[in-house]
Amino acid sequence: MEAMYMTIDPVSNCPFNSDYSPCGDVVLSTRARLARNLEGFPFVNRSSDADCKEVASLVSRICTKEPKDTGLEWIDIDNYDALTTKLFVERNLVSNNLANATHPRAIAIGPELSRSVMVNEEDHIRIQSIRPGLQLEETCQDVHELDLKIEEVIAYAFDDQLGFLTACPTNVGTGARFSVMLHLPGLRIIKDLERVRNACEGMSLAIRGYQGEGSKAIADLYQVSNQVTLGYTEEQLCSVISNDFMPPVIQWEREARKSLAENQYGKLEDQTFRALGLLQNARMLQLDEALQCLGHIRLGVCLGILDHLVTKTINQLFIEIHPSHLRWKYGRDIEDDAIPALRSKLLREKITT
Amino acid sequence: MSTCDFCDQPAIFHDVRIVNGVHTTKNLCQEHAIAEGIQIGPLDLSMVVNLQIDEQAEQNILRCSDCGMTIAQYKETRLLGCPTCYETFAEQLKHFIAQVQDNHSLHIGRSPSSEGTDIGRHLEVRRLLKQLDNAVTQEDYENAAHLRDRIRELHDGSDVHDN
Repeated sequence: MEAMYMTIDPVSNCPFNSDYSPCGDVVLSTRARLARNLEGFPFVNRSSDADCKEVASLVSRICTKEPKDTGLEWIDIDNYDALTTKLFVERNLVSNNLANATHPRAIAIGPELSRSVMVNEEDHIRIQSIRPGLQLEETCQDVHELDLKIEEVIAYAFDDQLGFLTACPTNVGTGARFSVMLHLPGLRIIKDLERVRNACEGMSLAIRGYQGEGSKAIADLYQVSNQVTLGYTEEQLCSVISNDFMPPVIQWEREARKSLAENQYGKLEDQTFRALGLLQNARMLQLDEALQCLGHIRLGVCLGILDHLVTKTINQLFIEIHPSHLRWKYGRDIEDDAIPALRSKLLREKITT
Repeated sequence: MSTCDFCDQPAIFHDVRIVNGVHTTKNLCQEHAIAEGIQIGPLDLSMVVNLQIDEQAEQNILRCSDCGMTIAQYKETRLLGCPTCYETFAEQLKHFIAQVQDNHSLHIGRSPSSEGTDIGRHLEVRRLLKQLDNAVTQEDYENAAHLRDRIRELHDGSDVHDN
């Protein structure tokens, strides 16, 4: 069968292409995720291909039959070209595990590429929403609405004591994981990140690098999410991040930046313009180096050192300089060796003087 | 001592296999073991004894009645096999759940919606699953197949008859 291609343009439909980004100087994006499983089926790790297929077929009704108003497009991963899945991975809409698996699996996705449902990942269903800036309540509402619609056609595995039953007991209960992607260059420079780590520890939150579990911190980007999923309501879990954790962290980062701008302006200016010089002049940039430079530029933009750029451009570039997005833009058959040059080309076009 | 799968003679050869969590045992007497092409010499007596011990140990292993998962398999992957595993391994999981969930053990978040007719279907599925469990335990596979079809029909809602 010939591979199908996604009809949604991942560049023009980027949820980060929005001017509404609360606390956008510190918070890049917010994500909410609910893990769910179907009653009467083994979890994915113990399912046969036939089980997975049946689960996918049952869940696919959220796109093809009533209720039609989920507005999601069904993408049966094996029937689509590999680039489509990789684009989703680069946007954190699909996990590497799901992309690389060989069993029947799918993703249902909103045209705005903000809401999605992964099917047959670790759990049968992973409902997600991602929004720019700090929007925990909104993403929480997005996934809740999808959850209710899915519930109309699916019987979930649920226990009165333990709540929603998940393949891994670390997700049992609400099955909810809320996370924020933070940009903390100020606290890194003044060597005060420990304060954030301590706050996370005290509130049972996990802090990780840019690409989640096991990844290193790059471009001063950190993901913070709830570790506990049982014994609290979804609202309480959301509130720990939204009301207890975020206000002080935002304040610390802003104060750090302010103090740096007052006391070490020259150093910051130098760092910003060096990064700008590299992005405007380099001809072959590796991903990590480009991300690092974008991180420096982002701080420069937030502090007003660069006033011709806006943070949403940088936020979009954090995604668009990844290999599959470059292939989407410049040609799907481009070899790996050619990617650094195309990355530089895109950055020169977008980061103008 | 168990008897041969093919006759009433005592079984001296036991082949215990677990493939993808499915447990199969073959018990053969000397005559039928030879007929199957299995060579049994005097030294194999020790093997026979060992196998019997293994079989005994195997019977003591707690195994999920729905998916066949054992606690050892869970510890390897940190993933449970099916919703029933939570009941099967409730004792063993209690400590682990308390550890990773800040000593919480009770869900207070939202539950599947009770609005509309679907909750009836939800509960019906739960009831049928219990029946399915019993049918499998009693090796009533005809009834089990019927119950499984019914559960899938309920999952499929009214669409099931469209095809």
